[in-house]
Amino acid sequence: MFEIRFGEREQIVLQGRFDAAQTSRAREFFDQVVESRVVDCSRLEYISSAGLGVLLKVQKRLMATEDGLALVGLNNHIRDVFRYAGLDKVFKITGESK
Amino acid sequence: MRGSFKREIGSVSDVHGFVRAFFEREGLDRDYLFAVDLAVEEIFTNMVKYGDGGDREIEVELDMQDEHLTIRLIDHDVSPFDITAADVVDVDLPLKERKIGGLGIHLVRKFMDEIDYTYENRRSTVTLVKRFVTDHV
Repeated sequence: MFEIRFGEREQIVLQGRFDAAQTSRAREFFDQVVESRVVDCSRLEYISSAGLGVLLKVQKRLMATEDGLALVGLNNHIRDVFRYAGLDKVFKITGESK
Repeated sequence: MRGSFKREIGSVSDVHGFVRAFFEREGLDRDYLFAVDLAVEEIFTNMVKYGDGGDREIEVELDMQDEHLTIRLIDHDVSPFDITAADVVDVDLPLKERKIGGLGIHLVRKFMDEIDYTYENRRSTVTLVKRFVTDHV
């Protein structure tokens, strides 16, 4: 199961499993995001390169004029994915890992 | 354990369910599940995107022997596409130049211990090995 929505304080909440079958829905959601946001990943269990691709595209678009997406609460596996992909240098990643 | 899955991106959830069932059946450490899910998804979606195999389903085999998990994905009736020959991804490029292409295979290399490709009788086979050790991902 995968969920993407706006949460408190206009944060974006990613929840569940962000796999290749979820990219269309995520892309549609992110199309309405036009300014810098915090993305709460504390309930995100899984992400593959397909999910990274969606986030990277949004980041490129936002960082042309804004600070971009800041990710918080990544679990250790997802942190590894971002680190291995070199995307820990492209996204601001904060918050305790779990 | 062997399963076969429709050649479409929407099959990814079923493939992950299959991997989970194998972990449960074998009583494997769930901390490895993320790495295996990711590797299987990346190879599977690659076969869906680039394979020209028509209606034939993609087979996934999982086998645990002596702390080594062997994962095999078999794509029938396709032209050769050697993923192990993919260009190395430069993860240090600035944002503007970063592309997502090739990142999946790059991650598979990072999360798995071995990756091998063979092609025979119009059949592509990708074999991955993950060692289950205490110093794990």
